[in-house]
Amino acid sequence: MSDTRCVTQPHLTRPADGRIVAGTHPFGPRASSMPQTTIYVSPRSMGAFDTPPPAVVTAELARLFAGYPALAGVSLRVETGRAIALLGPNGAGKTTLLRILATAIAPSFGRAEVDGLDVSRNPHLVRRRIAYLSHATGLYDDLTAFENLAFAATMLGVEPREREERLAVVLAEVGLEAVAAQRVRTFSAGMRRRLALGRLILAGPSLILLDEPYASLDVEGMAVVDRLLVAWRGVGATVLVASHAVERLLSVVDGKVRLEAGIVSDIEGIGVSQVPVSVGVGEPVTAGAR
Amino acid sequence: MSGLRAEARIALAIARKDALSELRGRHATVSTLFFAALVLLLFGFALGPDSRRLTEAAPGLLWLAIVFAGLLAVGRLHLVETEDGALEQLALYPVERRAIYAGKALAGAGAMLVLGGVLLPAVAILYGIDLSAAALPLLATLLLGTIGFAAVGTFYAGLTVRMRAREVMLPLLMLPVVAPLLLAAVQATSAALAGDPFGELASWLQLLVVFDVVMVIAGAATYRFLLEE
Repeated sequence: MSDTRCVTQPHLTRPADGRIVAGTHPFGPRASSMPQTTIYVSPRSMGAFDTPPPAVVTAELARLFAGYPALAGVSLRVETGRAIALLGPNGAGKTTLLRILATAIAPSFGRAEVDGLDVSRNPHLVRRRIAYLSHATGLYDDLTAFENLAFAATMLGVEPREREERLAVVLAEVGLEAVAAQRVRTFSAGMRRRLALGRLILAGPSLILLDEPYASLDVEGMAVVDRLLVAWRGVGATVLVASHAVERLLSVVDGKVRLEAGIVSDIEGIGVSQVPVSVGVGEPVTAGAR
Repeated sequence: MSGLRAEARIALAIARKDALSELRGRHATVSTLFFAALVLLLFGFALGPDSRRLTEAAPGLLWLAIVFAGLLAVGRLHLVETEDGALEQLALYPVERRAIYAGKALAGAGAMLVLGGVLLPAVAILYGIDLSAAALPLLATLLLGTIGFAAVGTFYAGLTVRMRAREVMLPLLMLPVVAPLLLAAVQATSAALAGDPFGELASWLQLLVVFDVVMVIAGAATYRFLLEE
């Protein structure tokens, strides 16, 4: 990918290509025992701005399904480079919020911005900045793991000359290099999930949206998610992760937002705050300081 | 990389992915071909053993078989996207929608060309027609007809893929639109098989070209609305 580059950070090593190898990270509680993780980065995910706009701002964001509100007025601000957990019971609106930010669905009311870009007005630009892991994996059953990733790499604009090496790195990162030539139809739910995670690290997103990333994964697969979360934080990307694995998540996130019945019921931690109704998108009142 | 080159790369990647899925699908390709051959056979039974009658009706029967089997083929190219959220993932890639349309249409046209390539000799065998004298105009008609059908089919398959009654809705919406194409393709095939005695072949081929151009432009311009939920 032409815009991929490396930025040196104290806890990162730089292998002279478009990769970042994140090993120990000061935020990660399991960092000392964590193996190195390779992800790909772009200027967008490396803090290319002197004063970056907030990664996510929503104002009175609402979405109705057949007249019923799945999201009923959420006003949030998430600072760039933070990892935030979205918590709440089933039907709280976590997935709906992530899908709106991912541009998969449009809001019924209110506004949402990613890196200062309105998701409804500039979906194409927003899509260049995000990586979204949904409940579904979005994989093709009759293609092999390698072919699925190769297709995603083309769609994400990875240069052909970089593709082979990058795919090999990503497959190794998610522990699927031994089954790369196997059709996805033969994969277990956990293997499919890992492959979908691999797709997320092919390009260099600045905002990563994860919906139940630990679902279907074994212990090793969960460790892959943990490593990726630490690596993304290490390169200054923002992560919003909805999960019921609260204990596991709380050790790797900066803040948490609890949703209930489509509204924010609680906010804790740093890097995330509520935007008052009277203030429009892009005009925060409070902000979590790093 | 220039925008157009990037879009061509994306379209080819989508077409290749669809072709691989189609070829590896256990029974879909074979059953579509069998269905088309069965249609030809049944039409033959319905018209009776009169060889002159069969020869006269052959162009129409050929194109009806192509249209019916083509409906299955273009519908399935979008159906593959319904596997495990693939359509949503496809819509979330930061690529031009017209490139996705072009890739899907390319795969559709490819599938229909294969279909036509199998059905033409089948018609020759079943209805006792000599194709050798009119091979070039027949191939031109087949090429133009399949491009137009794929252009329309890709749009309507995208429109109906999220519908519950998509198997019914696709032919219901699409067949009226491809009626001019069917007419022109049948007339061009008849003229080609008869040796073009009235010099009308070129006009029918021109009509097919115009149909293709209009439908490709319209499909590419409007396909993006179908991917938004």
